[in-house]
Amino acid sequence: MTDIINANPTILNASDLPTRQSQSRKKQSSAAHIADRISRLPPSRTLLYDPFAGAAGEDSAYDSGTDDDNEDEGTAEDIDEQEIYDLISTISDPEHPLSLGELAVINLPHIHVTHGTPTPENPTPMSHVLVEITPTINHCSLATVIGLGVRVRLEQALPPRFRIDVKIREGTHQSTDQVNKQLNDKERVAAACENDTLMGVLSNMLATCK
Amino acid sequence: MSAKLVGSFPPQPDRVWCAVPHPRLPLVATASTDRIVRIYSLPDFSLISNIEGGHRRSIRSVAWKPNTKGESVLATASFDSTTGIWHKLDGAADSRTNNSEEGAPLNSEEREEDEEWRFAVVLDGHDSEVKSVAWSAGGSFLATCSRDKTVWIWEEMEGDNYETVAVLQEHSQDVKIVAWHPEEELLASASYDDTIRLYREDADDWICCAVLAGHGSTVWDVSFENAGSQSRLASASDDQTVKIWHRKPKVQQEVMPRQPSIIKQADDQLEDWEEQSCLPKAHSRTIYSIDWSKRTGLIATASGDGQIVVYREEELIEHGDANEGTSSKRKEWRVIAQVTSAHGVYEINSVAWCSKWSTQGARMDEELLISAGDDGVVNVFELTI
Repeated sequence: MTDIINANPTILNASDLPTRQSQSRKKQSSAAHIADRISRLPPSRTLLYDPFAGAAGEDSAYDSGTDDDNEDEGTAEDIDEQEIYDLISTISDPEHPLSLGELAVINLPHIHVTHGTPTPENPTPMSHVLVEITPTINHCSLATVIGLGVRVRLEQALPPRFRIDVKIREGTHQSTDQVNKQLNDKERVAAACENDTLMGVLSNMLATCK
Repeated sequence: MSAKLVGSFPPQPDRVWCAVPHPRLPLVATASTDRIVRIYSLPDFSLISNIEGGHRRSIRSVAWKPNTKGESVLATASFDSTTGIWHKLDGAADSRTNNSEEGAPLNSEEREEDEEWRFAVVLDGHDSEVKSVAWSAGGSFLATCSRDKTVWIWEEMEGDNYETVAVLQEHSQDVKIVAWHPEEELLASASYDDTIRLYREDADDWICCAVLAGHGSTVWDVSFENAGSQSRLASASDDQTVKIWHRKPKVQQEVMPRQPSIIKQADDQLEDWEEQSCLPKAHSRTIYSIDWSKRTGLIATASGDGQIVVYREEELIEHGDANEGTSSKRKEWRVIAQVTSAHGVYEINSVAWCSKWSTQGARMDEELLISAGDDGVVNVFELTI
């Protein structure tokens, strides 16, 4: 990427970005922080534990922890917008050494999470996350790559009950519909994920998430 | 009515894109992200063969050639932009449920040979991912479609040779599916450009004879009814609707004497298809697959919302004005069965009707539904009252 498309993006200060991390969290050692990250990001589908699969109270192993342990982990809570934000705001921009959060491509108010209500017929209802991304400039040709990065990141990190929609925020890009259609076509996304060049770009973008 | 899960094939490690029943034998072939085609035995849910090594990327779809004798022929469409043709002589392994008690597999070498699938030919030509492959009813033509926006028609020649008889560039986007009419040499294709197109041969050329527009987003799948020349077409879309299309009878047009004969000829081939009905809305995400039962006329759909839905066309008698004593018959599609979470929390990529087989290997009257999902599982359902 020799030609920088947007040479002068607006950058947010990292300390101004939305977080629920309290003062005590900031004091955590980096090792604890990494451990926390790892616990949030199961490396593969087989290790994914879905805390909503059973009725509350059945998960004794998870309930036995102290309140302090559960405070930030949210194992007994639904995954919310902030958690989605934490997963994707740290993705690197493909052309700037900055995160999507810092560039305000990913914004907390533009993430929407909804959870289905478990019923006896359907004890594991689906959850839905909609992420609207704001490209730095309205003809940004990298919007598709950024959107794909967000989708791949969420597909890897979220439990399979999540249905993921990634869209370009209305009015922020000149070919919104076209990009949206491509980003939400599972066959196109699956084929893109078998493209080595593209996956090379994506893995660089996602490297800062780990 | 409800659909009951009667069994599942051994799970695969990755997404299964489609599961297709054999036209003559109690077998099911699957196309998967892990580039392996698996052949399963339907009566006992066992894995019979893995067909590997033919493709470098995901296998997106598979199609059994109809009307073969003494051998099975399978076509595979892959994201590696090629289509593979595989042959295997029908052997003991396919009907092993007949004597599964005796077990006594042949000695392993013989057996291996017996089960071997031969990679006969690779069809090159598409510029990007091949999405779908379909044999014409007689088996003489093969159609493929791709993200490169084209539909190709191939004809089998002697000695494992296939000749390209048409490259159709009618769609403006990615072509998702190709399907042949059950009797006529009429081909349908559906696309990311939201349209369905129909093609037939005119003299030496294949031409687009109808455009079916009406869906609001990508059309993922189409399936013909099995009703001879009256066969309608059902389509499933990202717009979460299912539409039924029918061919309007030809209006005899006056022959215009001045028209050059070449144009007249093409005009004769044009068909007028229109939307007949829209099935009751039952899905809340993209509908990826639809299958119109050749035997019962029921329609099944599968979606990203995790549901399999079965529809039946019912005849309603409407009583008109009581004084006049008139009544009219009207047909209406109804949802008769709905399976939620048919693959747990995962999306479902394909659904297909299939004969039920007895454990003795005899074809029965009942039908089963076979579905494939992102969970790597292929499930088998049976409708119960």
